[in-house]
Amino acid sequence: MTAALLLIVPLLGAAALVVAPARHAKWIALVASTIAFVLSIIMAVRFGPLWTSREFNQIGWVGLIDAFGIRLSLGADSVSMLLVLLTTMLMPLCIWGSFSSITQRLREYYGWMLVIETAMVGVFIARDLIFFYICFELTLVPMFFLIAIYGAENRARAAYKFFIYTFTGSLIALAGLLYIAWQYAKSRGYHWSFDIETLTTFATDMSATEQAWILLALLAGFAVKVPLFPLHTWLPLAHTEAPTAGSVVLAAVLLKLGTYGLYRFVIPMIPLAVVEYAPVIAVLAIIGILYAALICWVQNDMKKLVAYSSVSHLGFCVLGLFALNPLGVQGSVLYMLNHGLSTGALFFLVGMVYERYHTRDMDQMGGLCNRMPVWAFFMVFFVLSSVGLPGLNGFVGEFLCLIGAFTASADNASYPGVLGPWYAAVASVGMIFAAMYLLIMTGKVVWGPLKEPGGHGHAGASRAHGSTLPADLTLREIGVLTPLAILCIYIGVQPSPITTVLGPPIDRILGNYPETVERLAQPDLRPEHDVIQVSGIEQGEPAVSGHQHYSGGADG
Amino acid sequence: MNWAADSCAFFAAVQPLGQLALSHYLITSAALFAIGLIGFLSRRNMIIMFLCTELMFQAAAIAMIAFSRFHLDVSGQVFVIFILTVAAAEAALALGLVVLLYRRRETLNADVWSELRETPTP
Amino acid sequence: MTEAVQLSLGSGWLAAVDAARSVIAGPSWAGWILWLPLISLVLCGVCAALKIHTKLPAWITVGSLAISFVVIVALYMSYRQPMEIPLLDWFNLNWRSNDGQAGSFVAGFAFYVDKLTLLWMLFVTGLGTLIALYASEYMEPDVKRGYARFFAGISVFLFAMSCLVLADNLVMLYLGWEGVGFASYWLIGYYYTRPSAVAAAKKAFIVNRIGDLGLALGIWLIYYNFGTVEYANAQGTGLFQILASGSYKHEAGGWSIQAIPFLLMLGAFGKSAQIPLYVWLPDAMEGPTPVSALIHAATMVTAGVYLLARMLPVMELHPAALPTVAWIGGLTALLAATIGMAQYDIKRIWAYSTVSQLGFMFVGVGVLTTYGAAFHVFTHAFFKAVLFLTGGAVMHGFAGQLDIRKISGLRHMPGWQITAWTMLVGCLCLAGFPLSSGFFSKDEILAQVFAVHRPWLGFMLLFTALLTAYYTFRVWFRVCAGPVSYEMGEEHHGHGDDHHHGKADTGHKAPPRHAPPAHVAHQPHPPRFAINFVLVVITVGAIISTFSGSWVMDKVSHSSAAVLHAADSHEHHPGWVPWLAGTIAVAGIVVAWHFHLASRKSADALRARLLANPLTRWLPTAMENKWYVDEFYEWMIVTPLWIFAHALYLFDRYVIDLLFVDGVARLPKWMGRSFQPLQNGVLQSYAVLMAGGVGLAILLVVVLMPHLRPWLIGFFGGGG
Repeated sequence: MTAALLLIVPLLGAAALVVAPARHAKWIALVASTIAFVLSIIMAVRFGPLWTSREFNQIGWVGLIDAFGIRLSLGADSVSMLLVLLTTMLMPLCIWGSFSSITQRLREYYGWMLVIETAMVGVFIARDLIFFYICFELTLVPMFFLIAIYGAENRARAAYKFFIYTFTGSLIALAGLLYIAWQYAKSRGYHWSFDIETLTTFATDMSATEQAWILLALLAGFAVKVPLFPLHTWLPLAHTEAPTAGSVVLAAVLLKLGTYGLYRFVIPMIPLAVVEYAPVIAVLAIIGILYAALICWVQNDMKKLVAYSSVSHLGFCVLGLFALNPLGVQGSVLYMLNHGLSTGALFFLVGMVYERYHTRDMDQMGGLCNRMPVWAFFMVFFVLSSVGLPGLNGFVGEFLCLIGAFTASADNASYPGVLGPWYAAVASVGMIFAAMYLLIMTGKVVWGPLKEPGGHGHAGASRAHGSTLPADLTLREIGVLTPLAILCIYIGVQPSPITTVLGPPIDRILGNYPETVERLAQPDLRPEHDVIQVSGIEQGEPAVSGHQHYSGGADG
Repeated sequence: MNWAADSCAFFAAVQPLGQLALSHYLITSAALFAIGLIGFLSRRNMIIMFLCTELMFQAAAIAMIAFSRFHLDVSGQVFVIFILTVAAAEAALALGLVVLLYRRRETLNADVWSELRETPTP
Repeated sequence: MTEAVQLSLGSGWLAAVDAARSVIAGPSWAGWILWLPLISLVLCGVCAALKIHTKLPAWITVGSLAISFVVIVALYMSYRQPMEIPLLDWFNLNWRSNDGQAGSFVAGFAFYVDKLTLLWMLFVTGLGTLIALYASEYMEPDVKRGYARFFAGISVFLFAMSCLVLADNLVMLYLGWEGVGFASYWLIGYYYTRPSAVAAAKKAFIVNRIGDLGLALGIWLIYYNFGTVEYANAQGTGLFQILASGSYKHEAGGWSIQAIPFLLMLGAFGKSAQIPLYVWLPDAMEGPTPVSALIHAATMVTAGVYLLARMLPVMELHPAALPTVAWIGGLTALLAATIGMAQYDIKRIWAYSTVSQLGFMFVGVGVLTTYGAAFHVFTHAFFKAVLFLTGGAVMHGFAGQLDIRKISGLRHMPGWQITAWTMLVGCLCLAGFPLSSGFFSKDEILAQVFAVHRPWLGFMLLFTALLTAYYTFRVWFRVCAGPVSYEMGEEHHGHGDDHHHGKADTGHKAPPRHAPPAHVAHQPHPPRFAINFVLVVITVGAIISTFSGSWVMDKVSHSSAAVLHAADSHEHHPGWVPWLAGTIAVAGIVVAWHFHLASRKSADALRARLLANPLTRWLPTAMENKWYVDEFYEWMIVTPLWIFAHALYLFDRYVIDLLFVDGVARLPKWMGRSFQPLQNGVLQSYAVLMAGGVGLAILLVVVLMPHLRPWLIGFFGGGG
C-alpha cells in the first residue's frame, strides 16, 4: 500500500501544518515531501518486474462508492512511475527552494504545496476515471492560491485566468470521458465502471464519428493543459505571476498532466480519430513550436521567455506523441521528464535572480557571471540542456520525438504513421530558434560587462540589495540545483535504462496503430504510392499526400 | 411499497367527496393563493407580506389535501403536515427577523432594505 | 532515376564493401581517447571550483591530451583492419508491434576505426596537445582568472572532436558535431566581458546550428531509408554494408534518398564555414589565439571535410551532389580570398584564408579526390596552425596589436627570429610556393579538377591561388620584413579594458607612434620557450607533411572515403598544372613584394586610385566590407524575422489572448451585465419576477411540452 501512503503522507503534512507554529512550517513541509520521495523510491523498488510489464498494473485498491462503479483504485506502468518519481523528487526541491523567497503566510503556502503534490501523484497513479478527474482538478485549487496569494503584481488576474481556462477545458474533457463511461454502462445494462483499462478497451470499438467527438472533448481538456498552440495564452501569464516554486511545479509537472492525459486516454482509447486527426494536431504542435520560439526571441522578461519556451518545447512533446510510433512516444515521455528537469531548473535560476534584484528585465541586467559565477555556471548548463545539446537530457527527447515524427510516414514498413519527414523537418527549425532565443538571453544576462539593476551595482557588495542573500548562490540553492543537473547528465548519457522500461507499455498502447493506419489507408493509398516511387524527386511529400488518403479512407 | 397499496385499498372503501367536486377546492386554493400573491406584491409592510406568504402556503396545503383525497393517497396529507411544520418554524424565524429589522430602522417598510442591490456597472 | 543512382554508386560502393565487410572488435583501451579529455575537463572544473591559481589545469590538459595522442599512436601501430569498439549504450530502442513487425534504433558510444579515422585522430590529438602546450604560456596572464575555464574548454573541444571522428554511428557523430560547436561557443566567448566576443560566440553557435539542422535531417533521412545510423556492424546491417550490398530499396528512395547528400552537405558547409554559412568563422577571431588555431587550423573546420569523406558512398546517392560541393567550394575559395586581400587584421586574414583553403578541400571532395582533400587538410592543419600561432605570438608580444600596418620588421627585432622564420615557412606553404607542402596538396586538387574536365572551376581556383599567394605574403612582407617600427596594442592579450595589469598598466593610454624599441613601458616581449618550442615543432611538422602524400593516400584509400578510380585517373592529371600553379604562386609573391616591401606607398596609391574612380570605387569598398554579406543576412533574414517575431508577439497578446480568450470569457460577463438591473434590491420586484417565472414555466409545460416531447426523446435517446 505504498502508493496509498504516498497519497496520504503529503496530506498528513498539510494537516500538521494547520496546527503547527509558522516557524516550523517549512521544515514540516520539507520532511513530509521528503518522506513522500522516499516512499516513491520504495514504491519504485517494489514495482520490480512490473517495470517492464506491458500492462497498466493495479497497485492499490480501495472501494469508495462501489454502487456507481467509482473506486479509488491505483495503477501504474513505467510511464506513470517515472512521472511520479519526477514529481516526488521535485517537490522537496521546490519546498527547499522556497525557504528564502516566501516570508508571509508560511503555513498556507507549504500546505498548498503538499496538497498539490498529492493531487499530482494521484493523477499519475489513478486507475479510475473519476479519481483521475478529481485529482486532475484538485491540482487547480492549490495552484490558484499559490498564484493568487504569493504571485507578482498581476497575480489575481493570472490566477483567475489559469483556473477558469483550464477548468473549462477539463470539464469538457470530463464530458467526453463520461460519454465513454455512459456508453459502456449502457452496453452492460447500466452496470457502471470507471476503470480506465476497461473503458479503454471499450472505447477502441466505438464508431469513427463518436471517436472524433470524444477526441475533440478530450483535447479541450488536455490541449489547454499542455498547452497546444492556440490555447496557450494562460501559460505565460500564470508563469510570470506565479512564485518561483509555483512556476517550477507548473512547468515541470502540471503541464505534463496534459501530455499524460494524451498518452493515457487519447492515444489508446480512440485510435480511429487519432489516426485521422493526428496531422491536424501535429500541425498545431509545429505552429506552436515555431510561433512560441519566435515570440521568445523578442521577450525582455526572463521568466516570460522561459514560459513561452515551454510552449515551444511541449510542441515537440505532442509532435512525438502523435507520431504514433515507439520512437516518437518514447521520445515524448522522455521529453516530459527532461522538460521538467531543465525548465524547472531554469525557473529556479530566474527566481534566484529575481530574489536578489527584484526584476527580471533583461535590459536592466547583464554580465551577471562577474557577480554570480556559480549561478552563471548552472544557468549556462540548463540553457544548454534546454537547447538540446547532445550529451545532456534535452537532446535525447527532442531527437527521438523528431526522428519519430520523421519516420512516421505511410510507407514505413514497421510502423506506418500519418506524419512524415516534412512535419519533422519544419518542426526541427525550432531547434535553431531555441538556440537563438536561449543564447541571446544568456548573452544578455550572463555574459558581457557587469550591469546590475539600478542601485545594486556598487562594486564589492557581498550582499544583494534589499535581501539577506549573498551575491552568489547559497549552499541551499546549489543543493536545489545539483540533483537536477546530475539527472540531466545521467539521462543525457544513459537514456537506455529509461527507454528499456518505457518500451513495453508504449508498445502496448501503440500495438494496434500499424494495423489501424493500414486499414484506414488501404482503399486507395497503395496505387498512388507507386506513382510517387517512380517519379522521384519532383513528387515529394508522401506524408502529406498520404494523409489526404487517410481522411478519405476514414470517411468511407 | 406494500403499505401504500394497502392504504389505497383502505381509502377506496370510504365514501368519496359529497356534492363538492375537486374543482371547488382547487378554485378556493387558487383564490387564496392569488390573494396572497397580490397582497405580497402590493403591500410594503413586512408583517402583511409575511402573512401573505402564509396565505400562499395554506393555498398550497388546501390543494394538496384536495388532491390527496381525490387520488386516495395520503402522501399529499403527509406533505401538508410538513408544510405546516415548516410554516410554523418559518413564522417563528420570520417574525423574529421582522422585529429585529424594525428595531434597526424603526419602520416596517420593506423598501428601506435594499443592501443587496447590484450597483449598475457600464 | 534509379539507373542514375545505380551508376553513380559505382565508384564508391565497392570501396565500401572493402571497408565494411570485415569489421573486427577492437581493443577496449582505445576508450581512453575519450575518457582522458573528459577526466581533464572534470579536473579543470575542480580546479576552477577550488580556485587553484596555478598552471595546474594546463598541465592536466596537456598531459591527458598527450596520453590520448599516445593511445592513438598505439592504436595506429596495432591497426590491421577496420575495428568496432563498443564503449557504452546510449540510444537502444527496440520494439515490436502487435502484427509482429520489429524495429530498433541503436546508436551507442562506440568507435569505428579505419585508416581515415586514424589519420584524422593523429593530427587532431597531436596538434591539440601542442596547441594546449602553447596555450599554457599564452594564457599565462589569466592564471588568476579564466585559466582553468580555458583548458576545460580545450578538453571539451578535444572530447567532442574525438567523438566526431571516432563515432561508429551518425548520432554519436552528431554529438561530436554539436559538441565542437558548443566548445567553440565556450572558447570564442572566453573573454566574456567583451560584448563583441559574446556576440561572436553566439553567432558561431547559431550559424553552426543551421548546419547542424541539415546534418540532423540527413541523419533522419538515412535512418528513414536504411533503418540504421551505424556505419558498419557485426550483423552486416550497417549503413556502408547496406550501401555496398545494394540491398536497400532503390525504388522506395525517390527524393528521400536523393536529398540525403544535399542535407549532409549543408551540415558540412556550416561546420567548415562555406558559402552560405561561412560568416561565423571570421568573427570567431574574438577568441584567444590558441583557440583560433585549434578551431580553424587543425580540427573543427575540417570536420565538414571529414563528414563528406566519411560519407562518400552516401554522397554519391545523387549525381549532382558532388559537383555542387565542388562549385560551392570553389566559389567560397574565391570569395574568401578576395575578402582576405583587403583586411588589415592578421587573424582575420588567416581566418579568411582558412575559409578559402577549406573551399579547396571541398573542391577536392567534389571532384572525387578525397585523397587530395585529405592531404590538403593534413598539410593545411600544420601550416595554418603555424600561421595562427605566430600571429598569436605577435599579439601576445605587442599587447594585442594585429594591424599589419602598425608592425614592421619583425625579423630584425631581438627574440623574434623564430616567429618570423616559422611564419615564413607557413606563408610559403599557404601560398603554394613550389615544393612546399601546400604546393603538393593544392596541386593534387587542381590537377584532378582539370582531369575531370572542369576547366572553369580550375581556372577560378588558379586565380584564387594567385590571390592567396598575394595576401599571404602581404602579411609577411608587412609584418616581418622592412624597417623596424611598431605600435603597441590597446589591450593586453585581448582582455577587456577592465583587466589591465602588469606593465601595460603603467601608461598605455597614449602609445607613441613608431616608438623606438628601447621604450621600456612598451617593450614588446618576445615569446619564450613553450611558444617557440611549439612553433618549431609544428613548422617541422609542416615541412615533413610535404612528404606525407603517399602515407595519406594509403590511409584514405583504405577507408570508406576511398575512390577506386582515383588511382587510375592519377595518370590523366595534366602535366602542366603544377608548373602553372607554381608560377602563379611565385607571381603572387612578387606582386606582394612589390606592393608591400619594395614600395609600400604604391599599395596605398593604388587603393586611392581605385577609390577615386567612380567606376572602380565599389571594388575595394566591397572587399574591405566583406562584400556586405553580414549586412545582407542582417537585412534579409534576421531583421524581417525579428519584425515578424514582434508581430507574432503582438498577435499573441492582442488577437489570441485579448480578442479570443478574453473575448470568450467576457461573453458570460456581458450576459450577466444585461440582467444586472433586475437585482434592484426591491423585494417585491423579485417576487414579481418569481411569480412571472413560475407562470412562464407552467405555460411552457402546458403549451409547449406536447410539441417538444418527440424531439427530446430523439435527442436523449429515450432516457435509456
